[in-house]
Amino acid sequence: MTGRRPVDIGVAVLARVAIWLIILASLLPIYWMVTTSFKNPDAALQIPPNVIGFSPTLDNYVQLLGGATTARGFGRLLLNSIIVAVASTGLALALGLPAAYALARVRFRGKRQLAMWILSTTMFPPIVAVIPVFLIAGNAGFIDTYPVLIVPYTAFNLPLVIWMLRSAIRQIPAEIEESALVDGSSRLGILRTMVLPLAAPGIAAAAVLSVFLSWNEFLFALTLTRSAARTAPVGINEFTTMFGTEWGNLSAGATLVVAPILVLALLLGRRLVSGLTFGAVK
Amino acid sequence: MPDVARLIGPQDRRARSHPAVLLLAPAVAVLLLMTVAPAIYLLWSSLFRFNLLASEAGVFVGLGNYVDILGSTDFVRHFGITLLFVVTSVSLELAIGLVVAVLLARKGPDLRIAAGLLILPMAITPVVAALVWRALLNPNYGWIDYYLQTLGLIEEPVAWLSAPVTAWIALLALDAWQWMPFVALILLAGLQGLPTEPLEAAAVDGAGRLSMFRFITLPMMRPFIVIAVLLRTVDAFKTFGTVQVLTNGGPGDATEIVNLSIYRVALQNFQVGTAAAMGILFLVVVTIVIQQLLRVMARNTDVLED
Repeated sequence: MTGRRPVDIGVAVLARVAIWLIILASLLPIYWMVTTSFKNPDAALQIPPNVIGFSPTLDNYVQLLGGATTARGFGRLLLNSIIVAVASTGLALALGLPAAYALARVRFRGKRQLAMWILSTTMFPPIVAVIPVFLIAGNAGFIDTYPVLIVPYTAFNLPLVIWMLRSAIRQIPAEIEESALVDGSSRLGILRTMVLPLAAPGIAAAAVLSVFLSWNEFLFALTLTRSAARTAPVGINEFTTMFGTEWGNLSAGATLVVAPILVLALLLGRRLVSGLTFGAVK
Repeated sequence: MPDVARLIGPQDRRARSHPAVLLLAPAVAVLLLMTVAPAIYLLWSSLFRFNLLASEAGVFVGLGNYVDILGSTDFVRHFGITLLFVVTSVSLELAIGLVVAVLLARKGPDLRIAAGLLILPMAITPVVAALVWRALLNPNYGWIDYYLQTLGLIEEPVAWLSAPVTAWIALLALDAWQWMPFVALILLAGLQGLPTEPLEAAAVDGAGRLSMFRFITLPMMRPFIVIAVLLRTVDAFKTFGTVQVLTNGGPGDATEIVNLSIYRVALQNFQVGTAAAMGILFLVVVTIVIQQLLRVMARNTDVLED
């Protein structure tokens, strides 16, 4: 716009310093978690903090995943989390894709209202859903099984998946499908052969977000599982009582729980934010 | 032969709405199963007094559970705590998020990296975040107390989770640490999409930085602010794991949000009728608050329109 005055340069420098201080401060808890997982118990609790100059050890991970001290295998908890997150994501995509296609392409009355209703179900407080699910699943003998988590997680992820896929499908030119429709192809056939490949990037983003939500869920997993289907976020919370303040093991577990999601978040970048706003913010 | 006439004729409207129902039905059924069905079940349960541990069937008490709850100072206080938590955490995230968004809205490759790194706290499993913060807040070996002392902000270690005010500070700090980035990045997307002409015109007219921000940028940002507030409010009402792990409602019941008290009454005391009535009241309040926010949003933005 105009030539840079010294004041502008001063403001720019201050802004840079401020934002990087905020970023570094906000990364500190993550740094603590990862480094503590590679420290021996004494170094973990050292004050003043041993921020960089510690000799790293894998002991915490060895103990956690195979050592004698683990009463409950942490590997099993991670496996349960993976099974539940992947299954609920697969189901949410299988149910969400046809629904999103209908909302994006098929003309029918009340479509807008239906889309808004689907969106509004995300506002439903989980604590209100968990009590009936607990009672009914308890009577039916489903407590501590995978389905008792997979079905609710599918429902939680569906609105996000449907809205993200709807906007992904809308970006595909409709003419391609219309000509196929005129040629006599069925809606499901078009969905499979044309929409699916073209919407693949959108589907991938929706899948990642769905995994993200299922992986982090706590209330249902805490209430509806005991041991066989226990997921990692609940299991790691029980660690504190099991080991007292054994922060080495705990932070190793925490790092293992967080690592896959952290990698996905770095890959998705700001599409993570866009997805969590249901595509309202690009 | 493709029957083109069939695709545009009036008959076709029925023929085409038929697949729409088939395509939508499974998803809608799962959603009903996890929202409307539990609400009806809960509404029905709230009219009975029964304990899961007692073997006898529930006794019909009508609105008795509601009368009991609304007469109990505990429940009303926990409701107040919940609303206080939602309002303060969302306000805090909006205020800091706005500052961070403005700082990030300049040009530069390092700021792109900064925005990427800013996402990371959001990706931390909330319960894990609470566990990590509990360690960091420990008065004996926590890094937070140590560095605050080094900076001269506190004189001696603070047992954050042992006093109501500091426990609240810790809880809000954790929530803001995790979700301020979400608000900041929504607002950043807004800032970067704003047209530059109004600002250039104002600069030509000699307007100052602050008044330009206050009278031009902020009003144009309103749709993004409303979306951020709506999404954070919805999520803040769902908060459970972080509070349970960080403070477990304590000290005393200073941070006992309704989600925690319903959980206790239903799944630790097994007073299902009482918990059901609490759940229904909570559902009503959440619905009213969010309806109001949606109304504000409808006035300010068309992003969720078709």
